[in-house]
Amino acid sequence: MAELTQTQELRENQDVLLEINNLTVVYKSDEEIVHAVNGISFQVGVKETIGLVGETGAGKTTTALSIMRLLPERTGFIEGGEILYNGMDLVTKPQNEMRMIRGSLISMIFQDPMTSLNPIMTVGDQIYESLEIHNTDNKTRQQLDERVNELLTLVGIQPRRKKEFPHQFSGGMKQRIVIAIALACEPQLLIADEPTTALDVTIQAQVLDLMRELKEKLDTSMIMITHDLGVVAETCDKVAIMYAGEIVERGSVEDIFEGKQHHPYTEGLFGAIPNLEEETDRLSPIDGLMPNPTDLPSGCKFHPRCKYCMDICREQVPPVYLEDGHMIACHLVVKED
Amino acid sequence: MEPLIRTVDLKKYFRVYGGMLHAVDGVDVVINQGQTLGVVGESGCGKSTLGRLVLRLLEPTGGQIFFEGKDIMAYDRKDMKQVRQQMQIIFQDPFSSLNPRMPVFDLIAEPLVMNRIYKTKAELTTKIYELMEMVGLADRYINTFPHEMDGGRRQRVGVARALALNPKFIVCDEPVSALDVSIQAQILNLLMDLQDELDLTYMFITHDLSVVKHISDEIGVMYLGQCVERANSKELFANPLHPYTKALLSAIPVPRLRKDVRHQIIRGELSDPIEPEPGCRFANRCDFCQEGCTGTNIPLKDQGNGHWVSCTLYQ
Repeated sequence: MAELTQTQELRENQDVLLEINNLTVVYKSDEEIVHAVNGISFQVGVKETIGLVGETGAGKTTTALSIMRLLPERTGFIEGGEILYNGMDLVTKPQNEMRMIRGSLISMIFQDPMTSLNPIMTVGDQIYESLEIHNTDNKTRQQLDERVNELLTLVGIQPRRKKEFPHQFSGGMKQRIVIAIALACEPQLLIADEPTTALDVTIQAQVLDLMRELKEKLDTSMIMITHDLGVVAETCDKVAIMYAGEIVERGSVEDIFEGKQHHPYTEGLFGAIPNLEEETDRLSPIDGLMPNPTDLPSGCKFHPRCKYCMDICREQVPPVYLEDGHMIACHLVVKED
Repeated sequence: MEPLIRTVDLKKYFRVYGGMLHAVDGVDVVINQGQTLGVVGESGCGKSTLGRLVLRLLEPTGGQIFFEGKDIMAYDRKDMKQVRQQMQIIFQDPFSSLNPRMPVFDLIAEPLVMNRIYKTKAELTTKIYELMEMVGLADRYINTFPHEMDGGRRQRVGVARALALNPKFIVCDEPVSALDVSIQAQILNLLMDLQDELDLTYMFITHDLSVVKHISDEIGVMYLGQCVERANSKELFANPLHPYTKALLSAIPVPRLRKDVRHQIIRGELSDPIEPEPGCRFANRCDFCQEGCTGTNIPLKDQGNGHWVSCTLYQ
């Protein structure tokens, strides 16, 4: 039980594939600066799945785009911090080197399969495309074609359908194709940005099952971005809860779902979901709204909505409380010690 | 007692390339005064079409709709306008269902002005402030436009519009699907409080089973235009009978650690709703499919306790 700085804590673990230290991202326009990600740190171990959870505007997708270095060119900037992938810093990498990393070492599944596929290219060609770009072993056309068939079979689509266009597939199948493209070059790290949000529950169950199976087969590490705590419970090893561009709580799934102490925001998230197993007459929503990212509150970012808010919360940024890898950034928890 | 809303064999077919699309195919809805009927199903099962049919916003292909015991299918335009004051709808997407060029005042005033409820502007203004207070919108928002508000507040405007004419019955078509969980809970609480206060009757359409369980008295499960199971909310979750309902319930990710439980995953996807063959429409995905499942339609059968299911396993 100690208050360590975040970096010290991070160094304790070995076998780290991705390490993010103090990442800060802003979007700038002529009039204002949007503070999307404010100094977050976390790490992803080899073969590990970490869930990034939070509501709209928490900075989850911005974090993912920063790792991929796909932030909008003229408005999105990484202001500080480092993203270490196997020890090399991705923040300072030139775009031409990043292009070789994207798709082959790190790849991403986007939220909406309806819009992330090219509507005028056959699905086979779209998978072929990513194989061709990263064809470092000079495989022949035929070998690559075979790999396309292999990938389609892997995600449960008959290879004979590779000459068809995205509109001929249903939502769940399109998402399978997106997964096939992402896995084409057997990346070590897969970033899944709300991969099942646009799908129906029965199809969501199919896709999550497929992802779990493929992850075990291919030993991929994964960052799962979602707002659904149910999806997190089923797929993740570790969880980071984000609020207003900060990680307010981080720990193993056991810590988050069964731990004794929580950040008030995490408590609020759990209270706001209707429970299927117990009877509740009223939900307990979190009062108020997400803060405006151009004008974030002082001290703890959550204090205007927090039911335990104290004077100190308004003035001072909360210290980090840490116990066995379970991190909570809240004055309340530290005070109780 | 006569139920507030009752439909008999309600049907809606759409003419599409390739034949008739059976969007809603013979659904009987019964909702008593002050109750909530939850309608669940996946996208494309016809639940939104059903909601619009009940309000006669879409003209049914066949069947009857009774509102307070009167057959509204026989009503002409003028009578329909009268009865519509009693029945309203809240739409899914507060981003596209509000006119972007109208401030909150005009948005809420629209139904009142349309129906010439108030003679003076002062009366109208008082009513609008009253409605805004009822749905928890602060007075200062009266002149704001939809784009200046967040999703939760926009949906509150949608609720205020639906309440403006003091309706008895409201169809809620996925009112919280577009909102974040913390905001979703605020709107659900608001809807439930309003129901208690004003003795409203809801038909609550959603794909989110945990939401529907929370808010409904009775639940109807739809699959490809048909109601496959209908029961009291607690009964349905405790004792689902239809294989589709079972699979649907098992597919929900529960925010609790239970590493040992595997999902019962249904194969395949929705089959084609265009000119479907008679028989159970779930048969091609069902693990318990047997002789008799295809060929003839399977009627809903009462299993006791008001639990109705259409499946050959329970005939």
